[in-house]
Amino acid sequence: MRAFYALWKKELQGYFLSPIAYVVLMFFLLLMGVSLWFLVDMLSGGMMAGGVMQTLFGESIFFWVAMLIAIPVITMRLLAEEVKLGTMEGLLTAPVAEHTVVLAKYAGALSFFVCMWLPTAAYGFIIRYFDPDATVDIGPMFTAYLGTLVIGACYVALGVLASSLTRNQVVAAVMCFALVGISFFAGFIPYISANPSVRHVAAYFSPVIHMMDFSRGVVDTRPLILYLTTTAALLFAAIQVVESGKWK
Amino acid sequence: MMVEVDHLTKCYPRKKAVDDVSFAVDSGEIVGFLGPNGAGKTTTMRMLSGYIPASGGSIRIAGIDVLRDSLAARRKIGYLPENVPLYNEMRVDEFLRFKAHLKGVPPRQCRKHVERVKELCGLTREGRRIIGHLSKGFRQRVGLADALLHSPELLILDEPTIGLDPSQIRSVRELIKELAKHHTIILSTHILPEVEITCQRVLIIHEGRIAASDTPANLRAAIQGGTRIVAELHAPREKAGPLLEQLPHVRGVKSDQREAWTHYELECATDVDLRQNVFELAVREGWKLRELSIKKTSLEDAFIRLTTGEPESREPSMDSYEV
Repeated sequence: MRAFYALWKKELQGYFLSPIAYVVLMFFLLLMGVSLWFLVDMLSGGMMAGGVMQTLFGESIFFWVAMLIAIPVITMRLLAEEVKLGTMEGLLTAPVAEHTVVLAKYAGALSFFVCMWLPTAAYGFIIRYFDPDATVDIGPMFTAYLGTLVIGACYVALGVLASSLTRNQVVAAVMCFALVGISFFAGFIPYISANPSVRHVAAYFSPVIHMMDFSRGVVDTRPLILYLTTTAALLFAAIQVVESGKWK
Repeated sequence: MMVEVDHLTKCYPRKKAVDDVSFAVDSGEIVGFLGPNGAGKTTTMRMLSGYIPASGGSIRIAGIDVLRDSLAARRKIGYLPENVPLYNEMRVDEFLRFKAHLKGVPPRQCRKHVERVKELCGLTREGRRIIGHLSKGFRQRVGLADALLHSPELLILDEPTIGLDPSQIRSVRELIKELAKHHTIILSTHILPEVEITCQRVLIIHEGRIAASDTPANLRAAIQGGTRIVAELHAPREKAGPLLEQLPHVRGVKSDQREAWTHYELECATDVDLRQNVFELAVREGWKLRELSIKKTSLEDAFIRLTTGEPESREPSMDSYEV
């Protein structure tokens, strides 16, 4: 457990010791800021169709652009860099199990992902402050963040797996970007497919639809279980990849 | 027995890197792995450290099987990999503290152990420096400090002096000798004088096999089996040659004409010094003598013979020799 904590801390610190953290945070907050500006503009024009959280999370292209770009960037170096620098040799000859290494790195990346979203929690409260009629409900706000967390957890796990498959960070980032992108764009199949049964099945796997539900305040256990089990499966695969790397 | 290696084999797709290697290392021994590049030294050390598994055979560290009970075995080992991989963005103290936590040093003793290894490796004043800014010599020390953090019983050092300047090499060698008081050490190198100076036993490894295993002194004796007397005489060749051959213990005489002088090399049995006999002979016969010296075969000769099968060694020398 102590080794896990040490690795987690080193990983989270690592983000802030390199420029990655600041670049990602800056552009992420820029995107979300623009998103907020659009929202405020719509609110003041009286053109709001759905709830505030739906505009900020579920229906916002900014949300998805941020996910698509930030996650590959924060996960690409996790394992690939260790292998490339040779520091993996130091880690795997220390008395630490392979799964501890992978899980601690995952926890570090996920913690950074949470840190990245934390400042945006202020948005809801800012709007509530200026609009005492309370267009923002606490409930949907909470569930929107829950949705972001479980979907993010799943994509970060995907990034860890991509990073374990190569020693080149750029390859890892491209791999993760492509897979997260496929998962996102496949989320539109329920809207565009001509076949009703395809539409029906695809709706169960659509992160776009899930995120819309979460931001409306709907907590469906099915997507929760889908994302949590997928996360577990991806991490299990990443651990296997790291272990098998020794056998080459 | 600290290390028991039994019929160890490692196969790569196109190559057998280590081929049926068996050896044992006692507690407190310093054993040197010697061999040209690509002989299988690093592969063997990686298998010992548990980083890569063997294709066949077994390794036991202090009675623990490296493959079956990997974590327990790793606790006994301090390993310095060949290229000393370190996190360049961390500070020395930060890195050592991180590694101490990772290796399960109790939190309250972390500071104590970090200070201890820093002092051992001469890093007390470098604690605040960023690893990426350190010179090669200091990086090597940080790697060594890392290997020592959890006071392992066995130290595995893969080419600990590679890429260092001569004074750094000397200080690392002295450090290794110092460490030998409390640890069992296996180190690899392709620099011959290094093992002659630091190791009690040498394993010469060649093409994945152990070509020889003995003390540096015995290896030297076993290969050459003798000493050589060099003499340069101003004497009639047809007379001097046979007379020199008649001296006791002489196995053979080689001569080489250098203008008026003749350069003789006398091959003799081990541990005899014929210089006095040669001098007396020269005095008796009225020859002039301008050089008289004794040469012992260096480990380098042994090494070259074992790894290339060359029958006759070149000029014996004590210079460092890199393959």
